Amino acid sequence: MSKTASNAAPGVRQSMAWIHGWLGLLAGWILFAMFLTGTASYFRPEITRWMQPEIDLRPVTAATAADTAVAHLQKVAPTAEQWFIYLPDARTTATRIFIRERPNPDPDAKPAPRRPELRLDPATGEEVTARDTRGGEHFYRFHFQLQIPHPWGRWLAGLCAMAMLTAIISGVITHKRIFVDFFTLRWSKGQRSWLDAHNVSAVIALPFHAMITYTGLITLVAMYMPWPIQANYKDPATFETAVFGAEPDAEATGRPAALTPVAPLIAKASEEWGGGRPATMVVRNPNDATATVTLFQSAKDRLNARGGSIVFSGVDGRRLSASPPPGPAAETSGVMLGLHMGSFAGPVLRWTYFLLGLAGTAMVGTGLMLWTVKRKRPGAAPFFGIRLAERLNVGAIACLPAGMAAFLLANRLLPATLPARGDVEVSIMFWTWFGLAALACVRPIRRAWTETLAIAAVAFLALPLVNALTTDRGFVRSFANGDWLFVAFDLAMLATGALLGFGAWRAAQKSSRPARKPRVAARPVNPLREAVDAH
Amino acid sequence: MKGKMAGSSIANGRMAARAFTAIVGGYAAAAGFVSLLARISPIDRAEATIWAMTLSFLVYAGLILWAFHETRLARVAAAIWGLAFGSVGCLWLLGPAL
Repeated sequence: MSKTASNAAPGVRQSMAWIHGWLGLLAGWILFAMFLTGTASYFRPEITRWMQPEIDLRPVTAATAADTAVAHLQKVAPTAEQWFIYLPDARTTATRIFIRERPNPDPDAKPAPRRPELRLDPATGEEVTARDTRGGEHFYRFHFQLQIPHPWGRWLAGLCAMAMLTAIISGVITHKRIFVDFFTLRWSKGQRSWLDAHNVSAVIALPFHAMITYTGLITLVAMYMPWPIQANYKDPATFETAVFGAEPDAEATGRPAALTPVAPLIAKASEEWGGGRPATMVVRNPNDATATVTLFQSAKDRLNARGGSIVFSGVDGRRLSASPPPGPAAETSGVMLGLHMGSFAGPVLRWTYFLLGLAGTAMVGTGLMLWTVKRKRPGAAPFFGIRLAERLNVGAIACLPAGMAAFLLANRLLPATLPARGDVEVSIMFWTWFGLAALACVRPIRRAWTETLAIAAVAFLALPLVNALTTDRGFVRSFANGDWLFVAFDLAMLATGALLGFGAWRAAQKSSRPARKPRVAARPVNPLREAVDAH
Repeated sequence: MKGKMAGSSIANGRMAARAFTAIVGGYAAAAGFVSLLARISPIDRAEATIWAMTLSFLVYAGLILWAFHETRLARVAAAIWGLAFGSVGCLWLLGPAL
């Protein structure tokens, strides 16, 4: 194999193997965390609902939810500057509302404290209260902000995504037997097995990996690559207006005027969108003569995640304006955004997204393992870089899942009335994650793998039990009630625990087995040749 | 870019210069290049802007890979920094945006 490799275009393949290995390693640990939490985020609303088991709402139509939300807002903030109403759907069952107060006309006055976002029962408009938690939103935000202050977290995530993109391209160039490796997985062969596993997880889902990486960069393109806007527009707002349409900006006149009923506006918008549903309703200057109601189309029933918007008069319900139809470029970038978020996906496609995301996580994880396994010399003490990489591998691959499980366990075990409870849950995830990783550093490497994987497995396996003991939505009752979200969640936790337990068992087997005689120990190692051999 | 390069401080310095050129220079070159394309392309201005932003990462990735593939560092630096300063210079000559 090495001979054919060195004959066929050695230059490109060697340099690509080199860059693939180094970029993959340097960005790998963060990429692993981004892949895993991003994959979990395909169930963002479901995780939030699981984390607030006291909320169990029945879905209603968008028109009903809009009516009840407006009725609530008329009671609590009839003269606010803007109302934001996020309408529920089958997956997010509660209506979310946010009120923007009118700024104090006195310039010296302290700005009013930002009102918190509230959630309402869409059937009644009553405020819903539940334990404080960040829910699935936490994994989603961490996925691209990495819990690092703005804007640095997003920049670091973007840099890692660029490393991923170049690693994918260089990986494909390096790799010469894509089709054959699709069917090749040799277990228990040390380095060979890690390489096979890396190849299988990469090749099976290659289009997904390439798509998800590129579209991930596109989600924050306005931040990462604003320069074409700067080159073409003196004021970036001009560009936004050209693409998304003008937002209403009339000042309130102070002349009162009753707000038009909103349900007919939803019907009108839905007709204009060919049956599309609204996701968000923004009411500007409610109960004023200049009132407007803007409806934004939901991304849940279309591939292009940037739906259009329509502005209606808030006094007589006249259609005032709408966002321009997207051109080919706007459509392309909107579809890329939709492909990344997967909002359009139904249950089957959503699970497919989830499994492909796990394949991506496995690709990064096996790549990290391969890097250390490949560089270890039998009999020789590993140099510092390898030992560091090994520990970071444990810290990412075994300890992050343990931290995620701790986040979910904390949700069930912390008292419901604890102050700043949502933040405490988040801290518990990071303390568990980094604490375990630190602990693993003082253990022999094989034991560290076994122990941390076992802890993560036990934490996940405990979740269904703790859920049954602390809520009235345990597995048996959920099954009897047809509460499939909770049934599926318990099963997913058991499957995750079993997978991690299997990993712990494999690691334990390895550590108890005497070291095998190295196959090629006597051959002098040429680092260049070896990089090619491996791929 | 080769495994043996590590070791001497000259090699390390060259590697640092190469990485800086690839990552920072590559970004500047990609940003300048796509911005220039967006500016001079005859299609609708908003559309040209979005195409440029959407395709910029492909240009950037290509530049990074080439920067590590090409052995002659001087050539890498000349091409990438040349593209960066060249495209920004052209934009400057075209004058401020409308």
